[in-house]
Amino acid sequence: MDCYTANWNPLGDSAFYRKYELYSMDWDLKEDLKDCLVAAAPYGGPIALLRNCWRKEKAASVRPVLEIYSASGMPLASLLWKSGPVVALGWSAEEELLCVQEDGAVLVYGLHGDFRRHFSMGNEVLQNRVLDARIFHTEFGSGVAILTGAYRFTLSANVGDLKLRRMPEVPGLQSAPSCWTTLCHDRVTHILLAVGPDLYLLDHATCSTVTPAGLAPGVSSFLQMAVSFTYRYLALFTDTGYIWMGTASLKEKLCEFNCNIRAPPKQMVWCSRPRSKEKAVVVAWEKRLMVVGNVPESIQFVLDEDSYLVPELDGVRIFSRSTHEFLHEVPVASEEIFKIASMAPGALLLEAQKEYEKESQKADEYLREIQELGQLVQAVQQCIEAAGHEHQPDMQKSLLRAASFGKCFLDRFPPDSFVRMCQDLRVLNAIRDYHIGIPLTYSQYKQLTIQVLLDRLVLRRLYPLAIQICEYLRLPEVQGVSRILAHWACYKVQQKDVSDEDVARAINQKLGDTPGVSYSDIAARAYGCGRTELAIKLLEYEPRSGEQVPLLLKMKRSKLALSKAIESGDTDLVFTVLLHLKNELNRGDFFMTLRNQPMALSLYRQFCKHQELDTLKDLYNQDDNHQELGSFHIRASYASEERIEGRVAALQTAADAFYKAKNEFAAKATEDQMRLLRLQRRLEDELGGHFLDLSLHDTVTTLILGGHNKRAEQLARDFRIPDKRLWWLKLAALANLEDWEELEKFSKSKKSPIGYLPFVEICMKQHNKYEAKKYASRVGPEQKVKALLLVGEVAQAADVAIEHRNEAELSLVLSHCTGTTDGATADKIQRARAQAQKK
Amino acid sequence: MAFPHRLDAPELPDFSMLKRLARDQLIYLLEQLPGKKDLFIEADLMSPLDRIANVSILKQHEVDKLYKVENKPALSSNEQLCFLVRPRIKNMRYIANLVNADKLAGRFRKYKVILTPQKFYACEMVLEEEGIYGDVSCDEWAFSLLPLDVDLLSMELPEFFRDYFLEGDQRWINTVAQALHLLSTLYGPFLNCYGIGRCAKMSYDLWRKLEEEEDSETKGRRPEIGHIFLLDRDMDFVTALCSQVVYEGLVDDTFRIKCGSVDFGPEVTSSDKSLKVLLNAEDKVFNEIRNEHFSNVFGFLSQKARNLQAQYDRRRGMDIKQMKNFVSQELKGLKQEHRLLSLHIGACESIMKKKTKQDFQELIKTEHALLEGFNIRESTNYIEEHIDRQVSPIESLRLMCLLSITENGLIPKDYRSLKTQYLQSYGPEHLLTFSNLRRAGLLTEQAPGDTLTAVENKMSKLVTDKAAGKITDAFSSLAKRSNFRAISKKLNLIPRVDGEYDLKVPRDMAYVFSGAYVPLSCRIIEQVLERRSWQGLDEVIRLLNCSEFAFTDMTKEDKASSESLRLILVVFLGGCTFSEISALRFLGRERGYRFIFLTTAITNSARLMEAMSEVKA
Repeated sequence: MDCYTANWNPLGDSAFYRKYELYSMDWDLKEDLKDCLVAAAPYGGPIALLRNCWRKEKAASVRPVLEIYSASGMPLASLLWKSGPVVALGWSAEEELLCVQEDGAVLVYGLHGDFRRHFSMGNEVLQNRVLDARIFHTEFGSGVAILTGAYRFTLSANVGDLKLRRMPEVPGLQSAPSCWTTLCHDRVTHILLAVGPDLYLLDHATCSTVTPAGLAPGVSSFLQMAVSFTYRYLALFTDTGYIWMGTASLKEKLCEFNCNIRAPPKQMVWCSRPRSKEKAVVVAWEKRLMVVGNVPESIQFVLDEDSYLVPELDGVRIFSRSTHEFLHEVPVASEEIFKIASMAPGALLLEAQKEYEKESQKADEYLREIQELGQLVQAVQQCIEAAGHEHQPDMQKSLLRAASFGKCFLDRFPPDSFVRMCQDLRVLNAIRDYHIGIPLTYSQYKQLTIQVLLDRLVLRRLYPLAIQICEYLRLPEVQGVSRILAHWACYKVQQKDVSDEDVARAINQKLGDTPGVSYSDIAARAYGCGRTELAIKLLEYEPRSGEQVPLLLKMKRSKLALSKAIESGDTDLVFTVLLHLKNELNRGDFFMTLRNQPMALSLYRQFCKHQELDTLKDLYNQDDNHQELGSFHIRASYASEERIEGRVAALQTAADAFYKAKNEFAAKATEDQMRLLRLQRRLEDELGGHFLDLSLHDTVTTLILGGHNKRAEQLARDFRIPDKRLWWLKLAALANLEDWEELEKFSKSKKSPIGYLPFVEICMKQHNKYEAKKYASRVGPEQKVKALLLVGEVAQAADVAIEHRNEAELSLVLSHCTGTTDGATADKIQRARAQAQKK
Repeated sequence: MAFPHRLDAPELPDFSMLKRLARDQLIYLLEQLPGKKDLFIEADLMSPLDRIANVSILKQHEVDKLYKVENKPALSSNEQLCFLVRPRIKNMRYIANLVNADKLAGRFRKYKVILTPQKFYACEMVLEEEGIYGDVSCDEWAFSLLPLDVDLLSMELPEFFRDYFLEGDQRWINTVAQALHLLSTLYGPFLNCYGIGRCAKMSYDLWRKLEEEEDSETKGRRPEIGHIFLLDRDMDFVTALCSQVVYEGLVDDTFRIKCGSVDFGPEVTSSDKSLKVLLNAEDKVFNEIRNEHFSNVFGFLSQKARNLQAQYDRRRGMDIKQMKNFVSQELKGLKQEHRLLSLHIGACESIMKKKTKQDFQELIKTEHALLEGFNIRESTNYIEEHIDRQVSPIESLRLMCLLSITENGLIPKDYRSLKTQYLQSYGPEHLLTFSNLRRAGLLTEQAPGDTLTAVENKMSKLVTDKAAGKITDAFSSLAKRSNFRAISKKLNLIPRVDGEYDLKVPRDMAYVFSGAYVPLSCRIIEQVLERRSWQGLDEVIRLLNCSEFAFTDMTKEDKASSESLRLILVVFLGGCTFSEISALRFLGRERGYRFIFLTTAITNSARLMEAMSEVKA
């Protein structure tokens, strides 16, 4: 314990900075770091190196090698650089390597050196070349800013959604700025550049001169500038060896420091963390590292080797050929506990636990001391928090042990913070492992979130570890395990040396029916790799048939897509496929395909009915569906044809179709209709009036109403109208005309096939009781009572009913007897009933 | 008179939430086109829309003028036009014409198309083909369930019937599945599911798929509705084809209830104006008579009138204070009741007048004869006379269909002659109607082999049921037949009546058809609910030609309260009639269930026939 604070360096009175080793690097570097373009991604990300052979006058004859290492120096990729000269390297937030070339092209590589895509920073660059470039991160993603040979800046705030913004010109700029950086303020990216003693701020419309508040006089040039991780603070290094530190707006000065070194530093970065006590800037020269803050004294380190600084959220990583270190301000909890002679509750608790292990009664003393001050809760919390900030598992353990010990003496201490810290540390230790090489601190991990961490593990193809973490943290399957498995499967399908069957089987074995896994996405990936057969095999595992369709279409397996779409029950999907098929196949094949899929066929027919009538006809023709074809032409004869000849022709076609369909009835009916149409036309010509499109019945009725009895008779004969219908028809028509004379004649023309009751009814309907009575007498015996009642002869009706001895008729008559007038009749019936009952 | 529910009958879920949801969604869509706009509404949607958001709500959201979508050029001069239509190609063409006319005139307006209940790819395709896809924005208003009453939800999709059962178009099935999904999210999960029919099976499967895709939500919720029963309309055409004699059904048959309300003409209101009346449980008078056989309604109404008079009469002999009380508390209610009473009395009179004119008794007698299967010849003659006299094209068609279904198709001679007569009476274009009816299985010809039916019937008496089953199987593979007679016998649909059936005190569901016939659809539901499965109904399923499409899906019932288990959602795919609703309400009262009805639309025989008819354009 004595030496625990040995690596602590005080910066002023309040804060300590410490530097500890993350990894000892055994990467086999071929070049010196200083000869290379270096890019290290924040959040313990990978390191990319590319020998900068273009800067020297004599261009090297050998092509340089682009190398990618994990933070622990494990090689991830190495490829020969075959493209043009590179100005800058940088990592995007998705851990993609952006290589900005001199000609303005940006090549994007994956973590494993796989080429992803490229884009250009504009045409202007082609002539002017890129002098310098920065890759920066904002809340929108990762951006690229370039400085061209014409001393103009162009930037894109998000390379995922490339929108180039050309920044305004700096008036009178004749040479490259001595230093520049990107600032991000209020969601807008600015560029701050220094030319001689002047500072210019560029936003996308204006260029303004700015002066840092309280800048010491005598500055003739700025050599370096550094903006903090969160874009809140800015540091400037001047040629006088003076460092200005303030807010990024330059309006407020935090402090200044004079280091008396006039040599331009190699790198300058902020080293602070959220809620730092003493914000500091780390300045690196060739052999010297200096931490400066708002105190007269700085911390100095000697650099044995060429080193490179990586700013992080809560500190600075420093790596060199042999080591990888982390420099940060000691967090409050750790400081409280480990500061020499600290009486903080956490420190006492740690002490107590140690004594307890030694089985010493001092443990009780310490504990009592904490408890007397009522600080046990605080002590436990401090130990838990401090454990999070420790890098060494041993120290984490002893702090957690102390916390756990302290918890025993507390009644109600919610356990989740302790449990969660244990879990988090376990995850952190796992990923910090040399083989994985992601040296995240606790604060970085919390900022990054577990989801992103998992993504990064997946990106490094560390599927088993990712899955173990998910399972350990009990993440929901959809977010956790299945997502990772899906990624794994997508990677798996790219293994070209394995046969389709094996890949498909392997994937299905692992994935099974895991919820949230989309087989179609995996299949799409397989198709993307040119493995169509594998894609189809994988799609077979997709339970939602609707999901299979788009990919099948893309792969030109339209017929399979059609059956899958039908299986899904989604008619819209079916329709989409149909239109695809329609364009893809020739008409005949298309129809044949439809023929085997009744559901699709009906859907398409419905569409054609409204939109493509001719296609509908062709469809029926193709199927030899003569019945429907006939119906189609019949419909046409009403809907689309105007002229009578056209209509008759359509009907003729229909009739022919019906014959073919062996539907003689329909054929005959259609022929009749043709005859009728022609006839109606003639009638209209000869008699005037409206006949077309009347039914046969109505045509005859109209003739009778118009007084053309002869014609009516003729028509009835021609069309073989049955007697019954003719009688009903004439009866109604004549009654309508109130031609009672003719009606009587008609009724006597022969025996009525419909009886005479209808005559009575119709006369009554026309309120002609006189005529009605004439017919009532002729009504047959079964309906006599009804007829008599209709004409109001209640008494007679009663007589007939009694004669018939029909109970139903008797009640009917009785119901018609009204109290006053038919009293006698009613009595008569009652008597008859009584008599009948006696018998 | 109106039968009260058993005391332990479960409470109905509150369906007003569905209205609120639909309204909020519509407002959201309207607000997406900020500023003043004219709204074009498809005629069919006007009544449903009115039930969701009335004109003042629309005005609040800056709808300026309302137009009906019809085949006339639009006169709107507004700069923003919004179309609220069903996803029909015809409508898309209307919109396209309008937009293209604007384009020709060099006019630029904003157009928004709201399709309800869902978008169809085909519609967007048409917009694209007409070259206006980029000019309009298309949105979906997922308004698929309109609560017409406390226990009745309608999708208001009358075209479902024709589209699916005639054209074989399955696109509405997705809409049904979505609607079920919505219901189960709000009131579910449903514990026991039963269904019969191809469409029922497909809807059910699709719905299940939807549920599986986002299953986490409904898990662990307390189910409100215990059973759900899906039924295809083509399982039972007979019931839908019968004349309705229960009050609500009769009002529907006579005046056409549209979207839960009816237009009573001057002959009912006894004034010179028509009156639109909302018919639901809130109408106290209507609520008491809606499920009654018509023969009871008049008596009930006059009794009610007397009671009302008595209550009015209480005024006499009141002192001032009592009078004040009476006026402030009771008078309004009484007046309201008075108004309703006079309306329903007017409606009854009007119905009586209409129904006696066309020999309604004779018609009912014929229907009963058809249902029972006697005097077929006489009935056929009656139908022929009906046609010859041009009584009504729809009625004639209905009777022909009823004859066909009950008899397993018409004998060839009748098939020809009735059709010929029909064409002569009502016009040759009905040749297409017959082709439709044949396709839908509503009006068919007995295949020559069908004379075997008689033999088969005899055999089933001789041989054991099982063996007969096999033989019938072999026969029924020849053609899809209704097998109504056999089903009727199996399920005892024609009650044996000793003496008069007392319609005042119904004893079974047959009361909705004057005691002559228990609605087949309702009987199936009753039987399955009783058994909690299709077990023992194999023969019926086979006769319904539905061996593949009858399903049961039970879940463990431990988390269900006994109350929810008595709440049953019945889904009619292709429409249901008020008679069926009344019959099931009766069954519910008898057994302590509560039924909730979900139908693609309210239907009746006339609507069914019209859907099949081809009318000249």
